[in-house]
Amino acid sequence: MKVRPEDPVLTSSRREALLVFVIWLLAASYSVGVCYAWGYERDAATLTYVLGFPDWIFWGVVVPWSGCTLICFVMANFVIADDDLGEEQAETSLDAASPAQEAKRA
Amino acid sequence: MLEPLLLLAQSASAADKLPSPGIGALVALIAFIAASVWLGTIAQRVVERSQFIKGYFQGNRGLGAWTIALTATVQSGGTFMGFPSLVYTHGWIVVLWIGSYMVVPLTGFGVIGKRIAQISRRTGAVTMPDLFRARYGSPAAGLVTSLLIIVFMTIMMFAQFKAGAIVMKIAWPGTGALAISETVEPEPAAAAKPDAEGKGSGDWLKAKWKEVDKVYLIGLAIFALTVVGYTLIGGFLAAVWTDLLQSVMMFIGVMILVVLALVATRGLEPAARKAVENVERLALEKGKSPAEAHAIASQYAAGPGLRADGTLFLPLTMAFSFFCFWPYAGMASPASVVRIMACKDTRVLRQSIFLLAIYNMCIYLPLIMICICAKSMMPGLAKPDEVIPRMALVLTEGFPLGLGSWVSGIILAAPFGAIMATVSSYLLVIASGLVRDVYQRFISPAATEHELRRLTYVVMIAIGAIAVALNVFPVKHLQTFVVFSSGCAASAFLMPTIMMCYWRRATAAGTIAAMLAGAAASSALTLTGLVIAIQKGKPSDFHAYELLGFEPLLWGLSSSLVAGILVSLITRPPDEKLVSKLFDAA
Repeated sequence: MKVRPEDPVLTSSRREALLVFVIWLLAASYSVGVCYAWGYERDAATLTYVLGFPDWIFWGVVVPWSGCTLICFVMANFVIADDDLGEEQAETSLDAASPAQEAKRA
Repeated sequence: MLEPLLLLAQSASAADKLPSPGIGALVALIAFIAASVWLGTIAQRVVERSQFIKGYFQGNRGLGAWTIALTATVQSGGTFMGFPSLVYTHGWIVVLWIGSYMVVPLTGFGVIGKRIAQISRRTGAVTMPDLFRARYGSPAAGLVTSLLIIVFMTIMMFAQFKAGAIVMKIAWPGTGALAISETVEPEPAAAAKPDAEGKGSGDWLKAKWKEVDKVYLIGLAIFALTVVGYTLIGGFLAAVWTDLLQSVMMFIGVMILVVLALVATRGLEPAARKAVENVERLALEKGKSPAEAHAIASQYAAGPGLRADGTLFLPLTMAFSFFCFWPYAGMASPASVVRIMACKDTRVLRQSIFLLAIYNMCIYLPLIMICICAKSMMPGLAKPDEVIPRMALVLTEGFPLGLGSWVSGIILAAPFGAIMATVSSYLLVIASGLVRDVYQRFISPAATEHELRRLTYVVMIAIGAIAVALNVFPVKHLQTFVVFSSGCAASAFLMPTIMMCYWRRATAAGTIAAMLAGAAASSALTLTGLVIAIQKGKPSDFHAYELLGFEPLLWGLSSSLVAGILVSLITRPPDEKLVSKLFDAA
């Protein structure tokens, strides 16, 4: 039996979705990790400020946020593929029958 | 806070006397209403050129990057309303709480966006239930999706009508109130109790009618007429364009305010230091010992932050939970999915990612700065929900030509725009659920375009009328239902949508099980939270129960995933022909 190749849009979407998941996981681990290690139970007197933000917020959230914005730029322009979404198909039959039943009827 | 109930913060206390918003807020609201109706009429002309269902409920898949980026995930400006008050009250820890918005553009469009857009084209789907029905060839999957959407979104939408009416009311010059909040239960008039002594219901109704605030009623009527009116004439495009308008207005307002705030405090660092000093000083004034006051100030400047009841604001488990919550809660909401389905092509999705990334960064970080500046300038606000409008009034005071009133008007009108946009998009999803997914699918598949159009109008007017009727005597504790519905909706649809996009072996039964399990887990935790709050004697303070310290959404999503996989595996594999149509190359 001839096996049809996978839909290219599915292949690229899945690859991009997995990449996004990894980026989310890294961002979550980094941000929560840095803020927890550096910012939790900290004495206000020991804080230093970077560009007006407390150090733990600057390195734990502001920097990765800027990094993610940059990643969004790279993803949007160089990583995510442009795919043909296909022609608009006529909608499936509007009665309650399943396509299998429709095929039988045909 | 995804789709929050926005309620009135009662009028300012005497201690917080500040300049009045004047006529600016009212004028801004009227301008906003006029702009929305105008957008509705333009949208109508576009819809008239196309087939009714596709044009009216989906704008003929013609959305560009700006509309997708600024409306598909930024659906409710509610985030902007509750969020500033949290920063003002709890300090820097709230930056970590909201920090996961750094990845929302990617998760919002990069995970399911392209596949949803493709599947909807391949199947001709117009609504979310259409997608599930066509993917599995299962009317049951479509029907369950429709019913869940109709129930959850109706509850959330009705609550927004009350919020809209209240904003209209407080925009009236001289009311003294400045903001809406998510937690304060409004009391437009003292609640009348049914007379148990045996008076007729007519008398009770009359008594209650007398106690209803008439300004609130006028607000309710204007709000309902406007939002139902422009949605009815312009459909999906009117909803999306109004949403875009409010997102842009919010952006302009925040940009103006952050510059004014930083100039007033001479930079962020002096403001941040002063804010912490103020917290310590206020604690000392309240009779805390110097050590206790210093500890409270440290919690403002660092983690995990303190709630008013002394519990921790963001312990480690919740910090992680919120990194899951914002990116995943709204990703597969019916209103988002339908907008992604309406995108023009994949280029639009790509551009949306970057546009939204810039937008989020330029909204949230400046909002945080404004609130920290506010804590340094006016640390003792009795109503923290008023922090943004108060900053707007204080910072624009003394501007020439009454400019201050206009700027603060924009800021005050933004929540109104956000509520209108939310109601409008929900109204469409509910109407499409009833007309397309129930009537056209199950009752009258041969219905003509004219018939569907007429029915859509009737349904929208009926929903509007019911919403107004229910809000004439506002229901107490409506917040309970809103929390319940938004939790269930977020838990119910994400996993089934991912399964639909990527898993060949997923079945209709598995999908239905995933939806119901997500909703059930979320309901169970919400009800547990409610029972605990009732036992404590404070039912209005309730929040969903955080099992093992994790946000309920995580439990909802996990239950949904497990149920979806298990039930799919034990049920008969889906029709290979159907799967092949959506998973294999043409």
